[in-house]
Amino acid sequence: MSFFDSHLLHAVIFLPLLFAALVALLPAAEKGQIRVATLVAMLVDGVLGLLAYLKFDPAGPEFQLEHRASWIDEFGISFHTGVDGLAASLLLLTVFLGPLVVMASWTYVDERVKEFHLALLVLQSAMLGALCALDIIVFYVFFEASLIPMYLLVGVWGSEERQMAAMKFFLYTLVGSLLMLVAILGLYFVVQPAGGRSFDYPTVYNGLLSATGEVSRCVATGCDASTLSPLAAALKAWGPWMFLAFALAFAVKVPLFPVHTWLPDAHVQAPVAGSMILAGVMLKLGTFGFWRFAIPLFPAAAQQYRTPIALLAVVGIVYGALMCLAQRDIKKLIAYSSVSHLGYCVLGMFAYTVEGATGSAYQMLNHGVSTGALFLLFGMLYERRHTRLMADYGGIARVMPLFTAFFVVVTFSSIAVPGTNGFVGEFLVLLGSWKSALPLTFSVLAATGVILGAAYMLWMVQKVFFGEVTLRENQGLKDMGGREIAAALPFLALIVVMGLVPQPFLDRLNPSSERFVARAALGDGASGVSEQQVMMPVMPLAGQPTAAAPVPSRTNKALAGLQLLRPGAVPPQVQP
Amino acid sequence: MALHSSMLTWVNAAGLAESLYFIIALPLLGAFISGVFGRLLGRANVNLLATAAVAGSFMLSLLVFAAINNAGVTAPNPFGDAVPYALGHDYGTWFAAGGFRVNFGLAVDHLSGTLLLVITGVGTLIHLYSTSYMEHDEGYWRFFAYLNLFVAMMLTLVMADNLVLLFVGWEGVGMCSYLLIGFWYKNPAYAFAGRKAFITNRVGDFGFLLGSFLLVLMVAALPAQAPSQAGRLEAGAAQVGPLNLRGVGALATALPYSAAKAPGAEVTLESRVASGPLAGFTYGGVLTAALLLFLLGAAGKSAQVPLYVWLPDAMAGPTPVSALIHAATMVTAGVYLFCRLSPLLVLSPAAMATVALIGGTTALLAALIAFTQNDIKKVLAYSTVSQLGLMFLGVGVGAFWAAAFHLVTHAFFKACLFLGAGSVMHGNGDETDIQKLGGLRKEMKVTWATFAVATLAITGVVPLSGFFSKDAILHAAHTHVVPGFEGAMHVAYALGLLTALSTAFYMTRAYVLAFEGERSKDAKVPHAHESAAAMTAPLVVLAVLSVLGAAWAFPLLPGTHEPVFENFLLPVFSVTEQVRAAAGTVLVPDHAGLPWGAYVQAWVIALIGAGSAFFLYTRFFPSRAGQPLPAALAFARNLSRNKFYADELYEAVLIRPLKFVARLAYQVLDALVIDTVAVRGTAWVTAQVGSALRLIQTGDVQAYAAIMAAAALGGIVYALSRVMP
Repeated sequence: MSFFDSHLLHAVIFLPLLFAALVALLPAAEKGQIRVATLVAMLVDGVLGLLAYLKFDPAGPEFQLEHRASWIDEFGISFHTGVDGLAASLLLLTVFLGPLVVMASWTYVDERVKEFHLALLVLQSAMLGALCALDIIVFYVFFEASLIPMYLLVGVWGSEERQMAAMKFFLYTLVGSLLMLVAILGLYFVVQPAGGRSFDYPTVYNGLLSATGEVSRCVATGCDASTLSPLAAALKAWGPWMFLAFALAFAVKVPLFPVHTWLPDAHVQAPVAGSMILAGVMLKLGTFGFWRFAIPLFPAAAQQYRTPIALLAVVGIVYGALMCLAQRDIKKLIAYSSVSHLGYCVLGMFAYTVEGATGSAYQMLNHGVSTGALFLLFGMLYERRHTRLMADYGGIARVMPLFTAFFVVVTFSSIAVPGTNGFVGEFLVLLGSWKSALPLTFSVLAATGVILGAAYMLWMVQKVFFGEVTLRENQGLKDMGGREIAAALPFLALIVVMGLVPQPFLDRLNPSSERFVARAALGDGASGVSEQQVMMPVMPLAGQPTAAAPVPSRTNKALAGLQLLRPGAVPPQVQP
Repeated sequence: MALHSSMLTWVNAAGLAESLYFIIALPLLGAFISGVFGRLLGRANVNLLATAAVAGSFMLSLLVFAAINNAGVTAPNPFGDAVPYALGHDYGTWFAAGGFRVNFGLAVDHLSGTLLLVITGVGTLIHLYSTSYMEHDEGYWRFFAYLNLFVAMMLTLVMADNLVLLFVGWEGVGMCSYLLIGFWYKNPAYAFAGRKAFITNRVGDFGFLLGSFLLVLMVAALPAQAPSQAGRLEAGAAQVGPLNLRGVGALATALPYSAAKAPGAEVTLESRVASGPLAGFTYGGVLTAALLLFLLGAAGKSAQVPLYVWLPDAMAGPTPVSALIHAATMVTAGVYLFCRLSPLLVLSPAAMATVALIGGTTALLAALIAFTQNDIKKVLAYSTVSQLGLMFLGVGVGAFWAAAFHLVTHAFFKACLFLGAGSVMHGNGDETDIQKLGGLRKEMKVTWATFAVATLAITGVVPLSGFFSKDAILHAAHTHVVPGFEGAMHVAYALGLLTALSTAFYMTRAYVLAFEGERSKDAKVPHAHESAAAMTAPLVVLAVLSVLGAAWAFPLLPGTHEPVFENFLLPVFSVTEQVRAAAGTVLVPDHAGLPWGAYVQAWVIALIGAGSAFFLYTRFFPSRAGQPLPAALAFARNLSRNKFYADELYEAVLIRPLKFVARLAYQVLDALVIDTVAVRGTAWVTAQVGSALRLIQTGDVQAYAAIMAAAALGGIVYALSRVMP
């Protein structure tokens, strides 16, 4: 791999941070310069990200554009980056949204402009880092780092109750992720022998494999726990807890019912940029976490909690839609619709079928595009009228026809009319859940979301856009300007392209889905998936081609696991 | 045949097959240009462009139609032998994941070929008509963009060679219908009607999706269980996807009806699915469930009971829209779908009986409502619902060709009626109340003549097309035998006859009130004016077609009694026929001569209906003006006028409870239980614990020392207690 390829992801991740340093040097009064500099950063980052996406070869190895550099050797932390199909696609989504977010905020934000753009750039780096990280600690750092700029976006540039919303968002997510940190540390100490410990994701995964296989077979056949190897016994005892810790962290982020109540508040209070990024990318970090960490690392435990989590997803779909029907606040409605849409993502994933998983991944992209666009467009309306209540609008189609056309197209995408991107994802998710071992009632209930989705979105569209202009304030509203059209047009293009020509996108997702499903199926002892099939390739640390993070043999791991569970145990001798 | 071949040697069938997408692309392009640049182009250009786009499609359709009448022309079929008298092309994967794939494939056979001509032909006429009808409307470019888009979607629907692509057209036409019903969005009632149509359709689409999924699961389960029977089902499904329309036939062929009919078969409809999510259900049960789900879908799109409530409200749209979408094309999509699913439908007598009864019930119910409607468009709307019910009745009794035939003739005469109504409105200051019209016979001659012809056609007067197509359905309902469901079929037949009687009555009433007698005193304008040629020319063409359509019902050859159209559709329904014959679910008597008895009966029914209406509304009621109706009649009239309170029922049973649950869940569960009690509760407890702990942290060193001493003492005592015996 060329130098350029192996460092391309570094460039994508850190370019916004680099520009952040530049922006920090600009005088705060030069608002225009700051905006342009940020936009340029996002655009260049977009080009690099697109390049990375195009360089990703669907037929190639699992992780591509991979690079691993030693970082904190003492703890086995390395700066390991790389993308699989899902990460590459989400990366594309993130860099796609970047410049559009800046354009959306061009006039929306006029106070503390410098700090605002610094936050945007830092946030972009953090999210991209979390997507590309292949080291668990690196992921964790980026995952948590993204909280801070988002907290500031909501808390500083939000509307009336921004402080409450920001605090709620921060604490809610933090509770989950702190438990995840505990689980990560537990994993670190349980899996590997002292001296050979690593946070490297493929290493950890491979280290757990044989024990996972043992546990799943044991659960499937109802074996006696005392016959398990010590590591497997430890995994059987602690795996479910670790899984739940990971799952909680990601469930809050998704957000899954019933830990979703931070989302409406955060969305309602956030500025347009905050809402777009939150809906577009940050929620996907939750589903991505399930896909990358929670399920593959603990398939046996995931199997155990599969039906309850799928049920929560289904409840989320229906419940989110019902919530939408009870809203008067447009942003809140869009926020609850996110709960409903993300329910599809989680359901598709927990269907454990390739159709479902691919649909879920595609739905993540779709939601980013269509809900991102909804927030963008509503931001334009809010900028003009400074109210979020449906009752304050009505007849907008007459004064802003172009804007209405944009909004209606995005609405069709959001309710998954065939020919738009939403349909392909929703269809595959529902098909996948029908094909899965989940109860049929789940799939039927999930499909009612198709009806309810149309009901609430079109209701809102009618209230806002149709009828006569009843309020005097709405009579003089200006239609979209050039900058606004430029910010919204890419969304429309993507909605149509992803709806009509989905296969290039799906081609990159499919191999990842197949691997994901095989790994998830490992948790079912009767599935017949062998550990060798789902092994991950481990990239050796640069400079230490052989010794770094070796995959310990079964006995070694077992010993280590056994001894670690005993307090005061001496680290075992690593045998050659 | 020789003539055909020689005529078409210059058409390269393979090249034509590859170019099928042009038929869709033209109106799509038209929609794009009118929609984006329409205001720049100006009215005349948009009129020309939009009409030309559809007319171009019509030309191409003619070419394709000519080509598929050539015996040598076949469409590829990955599930078995090539399909004769058809053209098809597979443009490759649309989307694929795991074992599922959908290809972007188009195909035209005699059924879709006929519909292509209807859609583009009637579509062109209606575009032409609209150029005049919408001449004063500001939003002309929007209108033509939507209308072109609709045509493109409708063409996708009939040309799709798989159910998913068909669904694209299916929802696409629904979307256009939404946009066009709410075209005059400033009126909140119109915007609401659009939304109602879309959401009701969505209920149906829910059924469509679920039905397709069941088919996918069946296709996945069958080859694993009965590899020898499945034939090329698995290979074909891997190549073009399990929801291909040829795959529907392959699936039906692979599933024998019962062990008694196919001794030695590994799997019949009576056997249970061995593996997968459907394990334990019988194939027959799953099939019936899938078909009933599709019926829900079709009921949504084709306005059948219980989802018919949207169509009458859909009359809020401009009248050409009502003619094209809500009479001639879109609403017949459900009938088309069931023609495509016919190989499977004949395997499930229960589903057939349900379809027939739903159709019959809808037909009669809608006809009864039409008795008392005064809005001319509402009368026609309920009439459409009723006629669609008849088509479903035909499908349900296994007379697919008759249903398709009625679909075509209905497209002609109902489009003519709607456009006639539009012309009436145009000439009378947008008056739609037939009580306030009257006497138009003298003032709008062309409109009157065409409307009268179309009324005679729908009434079922010999020798107009409507008579033959309606009679073909009723005759089939009378003679086809579905073993086990004879009673249901008798009921359906009776419903059909009553509908025919009612149709004659209410159509004559509407015609008489609007066109005969004296001009009403409440008329908006003193004198109506006849519409421009752009509007009357389509009327004339459609009226002529309503007459000439009958030709398709004539016997193919002297001495045989097979109607031309039935023979024409034979290649389309050949698989259905094979499956039906093997399963013995529908017994079709041979054509034993023209059904003169049935013809006379239908003729008498039409005469009674029309005659009584004519008498009542020209003689009886005018003479009794001012006198109140008898109580029983008044009650019946109110029931009918209020559409049997269907909307109110939905409101009370479905919509209000749903809204209530949503509000309750939001206020109680979300805001109170989860957010306030659980989330803020946790925060509050944390804060309280923090405050409580603050009390301990006094900063008083002596107190700390005392606690330390006490703790140390306690520790020592505990240690001693453990050490001491």
